[in-house]
Amino acid sequence: MSGIRRQALAVARRDLARERRRGEVLWVTVPFGIIALLLVPLAIGTDQATLHRVGPGLYWVVVLLFGVLVGVRGAADETGPQRDAAALLGLDPVAVFAGRALATSSLLVVFELVVGVAAIALYDIDLIGVGWLALVVLLVAIGLGTLATIASSIVASGAGTAALVPLLVAPLAIPLLLGATQSLDGLRQGTSILSWILLMIVVVLVLGIVGVVSSGPLQESR
Amino acid sequence: MTAQAEIRDRRWPWYVAVVAVAVALSLSMISPPDAVQGDLIRIMYIHVPAAWLAYLAFTVTLVGSIGYLATKRMVFDRLAASSAEVGVYFTGLAILLGMIWGKPTWGVWWTWDARLTLTAIMLFVYLGYLALRRATPDPDARAKRSAILGVLAIVQIPIVHFSVVWWRTLHQPPSIIRPDGPAIQDPLMVIALIAGVVAFTVVYVALVAKRMELARIEDAIVAREATFERPVAGEAVVAPDLSPEPGGAR
Repeated sequence: MSGIRRQALAVARRDLARERRRGEVLWVTVPFGIIALLLVPLAIGTDQATLHRVGPGLYWVVVLLFGVLVGVRGAADETGPQRDAAALLGLDPVAVFAGRALATSSLLVVFELVVGVAAIALYDIDLIGVGWLALVVLLVAIGLGTLATIASSIVASGAGTAALVPLLVAPLAIPLLLGATQSLDGLRQGTSILSWILLMIVVVLVLGIVGVVSSGPLQESR
Repeated sequence: MTAQAEIRDRRWPWYVAVVAVAVALSLSMISPPDAVQGDLIRIMYIHVPAAWLAYLAFTVTLVGSIGYLATKRMVFDRLAASSAEVGVYFTGLAILLGMIWGKPTWGVWWTWDARLTLTAIMLFVYLGYLALRRATPDPDARAKRSAILGVLAIVQIPIVHFSVVWWRTLHQPPSIIRPDGPAIQDPLMVIALIAGVVAFTVVYVALVAKRMELARIEDAIVAREATFERPVAGEAVVAPDLSPEPGGAR
């Protein structure tokens, strides 16, 4: 077990080191998300009260749609020689999956935080229940990261297939979007959000199990 | 065409389907109008079976996917893919009929009703499944990857079905499968609805059987092409004869 953990951490470190070199998420995806937040008021109107009301929902939609791009980054890498090198090194498929999901989730946390600061500034969103908010951000990052990793492993068969990842991830991420938006709504209205937190935990667990179980067969099929 | 790839043309499922559809349509016409909706209720006899088939088709895709992952037999992959294709068609039909029903009932073609929205999302999940299959040329890789997606995607069905219970929105709650028994009281209406479900199921079986047969032939053609002896590049070029001619100068 410790071997798998060590391998997973090594894979995650490799992915994060690659991101540090390329800066795709921080310098491309994050600005792209902020641009989306800037464009929406130009389309629906700049009334501050309306933006204040719809801001949290828009933020989560941007996180869902643009966060998928972090997963697409992984799918593009999967077609490279790194995949063959990982197989030749004898890396456990579960460790590869866990490491990549960990790296993608970590990058998504950064994405959510930076875009979140921009959304608070642009839409004047109230910060209520910071502890719960942190948990929601973390659960969305883990869920979306795991789902994107599974999807990128499924489509990793050749050039051009990375474009499929958003089509697979976006509809399946609906429970996460619902959980996140309803949690924020609950915090604003002072109602219990435990059921939504529970929903997101269940989704994360199910995705984790699917990812672990499917990692072996998916590696065999490459 | 090899003997293995010959078309097995079975017509009896189609005859059964035509009879079943004719009976179901007749019953839907003679059933009484609804007290509130009047004759509009007759859309239900097509809309509900189409929606039921979406559930059935995607559940069969799940069964086929699990069957393939467990046995690696391509027949399960064909079953899963064929059922997903037919399921996408019936899901689209259910959405379209729902919109036609919704316009006079709710006043709009589309409303942000939980079931309507989630059904549209379910349609896109399975469109993604079909897109994945098209994008993966290797048959084994295609079967394995789409099987995993087929298992993962099934989570949509209970969410779609119970969405009307969990979120109390415009769409009416389940008419037949509900905790406190069927909501429809008139026996003829129930019979007409059940006849519609049976007829659509027969049509589904006929379509899936035909699509599986086509998939089998496609696979046979691909396998044949893979083993077909093609002329080797440069085969027409003959090596020059460099042997000395008898009696000629060297």
